[in-house]
Amino acid sequence: MIKDITIGQFFPGNSFIHKLDPRAKIVITFVFISALFLCKNFFSLGLLFLSALIAIAISRISFKVILNGLKMIVVLVVFTGILQLLYNDDGAVLWKPFEQLDFAVTTGGVFSSVFIIIRIVSLILFSSLLTYTTSPTMLTDAIERLLSPLKLFKVNVNSLAMMMTIALRFIPTLIEEIDIIMSAQKARGADLETGSLTERAKALVPIFIPLIVSSFRRAYELAFAMECRCYTGDNKRTRMKEMKLSVRDYISFAVLIILVAAVVGTSFFMNSSFILFERVI
Amino acid sequence: MKDNKLIEFQNVSYTYDEENEASSEFAVSDISLTVCKGEFVVILGHNGSGKSTLAKLSNSIFVPTSGKVYVNGMDTADEKNEFAIREKVGVVFQNPDNQIVASIVEEDVAFGPENLGIAPKIIRERVDSALKAVGMEEYRFHETHRLSGGQKQRVAIAGMIAMLPECIVFDEPTAMLDPKGRREVLETARKLNSQDGISVVLITHFMEEAVFADRIYVMDKGKILAEGTPSEIFSDEKLLLSAGLDVPEAVRIAARLRKNGVPLREDILTEEDLIDSFIEVMNS
Repeated sequence: MIKDITIGQFFPGNSFIHKLDPRAKIVITFVFISALFLCKNFFSLGLLFLSALIAIAISRISFKVILNGLKMIVVLVVFTGILQLLYNDDGAVLWKPFEQLDFAVTTGGVFSSVFIIIRIVSLILFSSLLTYTTSPTMLTDAIERLLSPLKLFKVNVNSLAMMMTIALRFIPTLIEEIDIIMSAQKARGADLETGSLTERAKALVPIFIPLIVSSFRRAYELAFAMECRCYTGDNKRTRMKEMKLSVRDYISFAVLIILVAAVVGTSFFMNSSFILFERVI
Repeated sequence: MKDNKLIEFQNVSYTYDEENEASSEFAVSDISLTVCKGEFVVILGHNGSGKSTLAKLSNSIFVPTSGKVYVNGMDTADEKNEFAIREKVGVVFQNPDNQIVASIVEEDVAFGPENLGIAPKIIRERVDSALKAVGMEEYRFHETHRLSGGQKQRVAIAGMIAMLPECIVFDEPTAMLDPKGRREVLETARKLNSQDGISVVLITHFMEEAVFADRIYVMDKGKILAEGTPSEIFSDEKLLLSAGLDVPEAVRIAARLRKNGVPLREDILTEEDLIDSFIEVMNS
């Protein structure tokens, strides 16, 4: 059950998106997310949503995988949707279920609820595309390089990146270990599934203590292994994979700039689509 | 012979408890041994015999409490030599999970050369040939945690090969593997030794793994009990029993048969040897 977690999962491939420079991908993702928060009407939001879908199609990651990733946030999406529905009182009243209570579903509520749902979904789609198409090591490498200006402020960016690499590398190993410890404790009669919340929380103690102990042992052994491979923690390391911006990256930047321009343009110069929306109703 | 020495231990003792040196127990005490270029040396000993400490002493991870360790004439106690030594002598540890650094096979193999500050293009070449040497080239883009134990261990070996060592010390590399993984790792070690001329020091308590050695050291309680060729060592049942070890099945059966008048060859170490020799006897 724990093994089903897909956050940060990487699907190797050979598509245009896979081949983009990971630094470019991170920057593009950030700009895209900012654009999502800039847009104020359905036209620009639709544009961004559509481009997220197109990007997914180009990456050749199956939509099944994407939908599975979205499943994790269904609760969040539904919850925010309902909140928006309840708290927005703008526009005409569509439905007022309780006469004596001061709340009603309005056109404004429906509008902002749909708007926010599409916004969250596009955000998840686009950012998961980043992790689906970039290996964790490439990602940390890219972050390391993007953060390298911080070296001026004496931040040890290399060590931070190494910590991230190792953390990512050990997540699946530790998950496997939790499964093993849980089975071992169950075999000794541990009851993890029944009882009150506090009882179940207490039952987790004999799972996490062995896990912590073994993590220390792993860290100790890993430190030796890294030393054997001449790791020193200083900044003289080179990298097998060089990062060079290619034509692909420039094309993507160009597309992104056009997209952002369109979003900004439509957000400021077009009629608010809210008004359009009301007129339709 | 003298110029041929790659690793040399001179009366080495080591204790984990440095503060109470006098009273504490030594993990290894007064050990002298040599590993020559291109040799396949096996260090046999049961748990707690100090053999794993030996591995860490061989590449300057540990520095001897007393005595000297030389690698290619370089003193491991001298910090200046640390990295030159670790480039020459790689160590593969028991638990494959705890020595793999990166999530993707080829990125892990590249870790060592990256630390050495080599140009990216050369790293790429070394990684390619290292993966080929251990037969893992098809797995280069695979995630390391999805590999089998034997495959993980071979990735760890590739990570060492990519640093172009002259010697690889295997510290019980098969103890956590299933029989298939054990075979994969041993075959890789033997191939590296015979085809690529890399010296191999195999530290183990499995007798079957020792039969391919050029020389065997038997260890017990931090001391070396005996040194010799596999047939010399295995014929001395008393010695092996006193070190808490077992004579390999084939050797024991051959000895019994010989005692009972079956004229088998003297150099029987493996099951195949035994069968071949037995067929010879039957035919004659």
